[in-house]
Amino acid sequence: MPATRTFLSALAIAAIGASGLAFSSSADAHGIWFAQRAKQIALIYGVGADDLEMTKRLPLVESLTAYDADYQPIKAAARVAGPIVLVDVDAQPTLVAAVMPYGVWSRVGDGEFEKKTLAEMPNATVSTKNVKYAVSIQGPLSKPIPALPGHGLQIIPAGPIPDKLGTPLTYRVLYNGKALAGARVINDMVNDPDAKEQMTAADGTVTLPVRNQGLNVVRAVYDGPTDQPTLYKQIEHTATLAFTLAHAPE
Amino acid sequence: MKKTLTLLFCLSTLGGLSNAALAHGITKPQHGGVVQMNGETLFELVVNPAGVSLYVLDEDEPVNAAAMTAKLSISAGGKKTDVTMVPAKGNQFVAKGLKLAKDANVSVLVIDKATQSRYGTTFTIK
Repeated sequence: MPATRTFLSALAIAAIGASGLAFSSSADAHGIWFAQRAKQIALIYGVGADDLEMTKRLPLVESLTAYDADYQPIKAAARVAGPIVLVDVDAQPTLVAAVMPYGVWSRVGDGEFEKKTLAEMPNATVSTKNVKYAVSIQGPLSKPIPALPGHGLQIIPAGPIPDKLGTPLTYRVLYNGKALAGARVINDMVNDPDAKEQMTAADGTVTLPVRNQGLNVVRAVYDGPTDQPTLYKQIEHTATLAFTLAHAPE
Repeated sequence: MKKTLTLLFCLSTLGGLSNAALAHGITKPQHGGVVQMNGETLFELVVNPAGVSLYVLDEDEPVNAAAMTAKLSISAGGKKTDVTMVPAKGNQFVAKGLKLAKDANVSVLVIDKATQSRYGTTFTIK
């Protein structure tokens, strides 16, 4: 990451921490995903109907990438348009993807989460680094979606996207590019965020009915091992896969 | 009447994605080509011996091609080619001399130069 971006990220995390923004005991439910706003691709932060302040968090975004039909990168850039973050691409993408580290948060017992590391809160019972990932399918898939660079946790469809809601669809959850058992998955983090989470099987798969004849945002969460045990006890990875089903002709 | 090459276009087998929606007003080809809708934006791709044309309607209104850019990203046989189209009359963009191979995946991106708004879709040629 460029030094400037690292500095901006640190500033953004500090600002979010200082303002007490949105990190509560339920913060693990929040994620990032892509959705259409005024016919443009937008990057959203929130959960359920909470479409939260993304522009403020934009400096945290570590990577924003688009991919063509052969999954080769296409130049993509974020553009702030009022309160919304849009994605400008140089060519029509098949996928767009983003990674947003969300800092280290700790708490003692049932207390409030604070933006502190384990070193700063040595008696913390929970101390977690958070990373959010998002992938959106924007065009027809001619081949399976590969593991994308930088996406520690990723959801991929294991078969064709169906035409109709209610049709079962198998997803595979990848952790560092490999199938992951025990990831917690729900099939609609926008319209059914409190659904009972389903666990992926040994081969990393879980099969769920496609919930919406429109935007679907599938979410997977995995509490992975720490890579800096003096600073946090775990890394919470939250990944989304967004895709849409077309509505009937009008 | 222009002689149009006999090319069959179809939606992807994964046509359930957003590109397949038929929505507003005009949804049929106006120039002998093949249409893809994305929301209320209609893209019509026409292939003829002289090259490839693209016509764009936004909510049934022809866009002003001169105020926009258009690019085709063509994937075929493991090769990718980007082609910048040239604004022509009205809502038409042209790529003179361009040939499209069977099974090519043709992604279209039109950008409004004033607002930077993007409008796109994907055609698969059979």
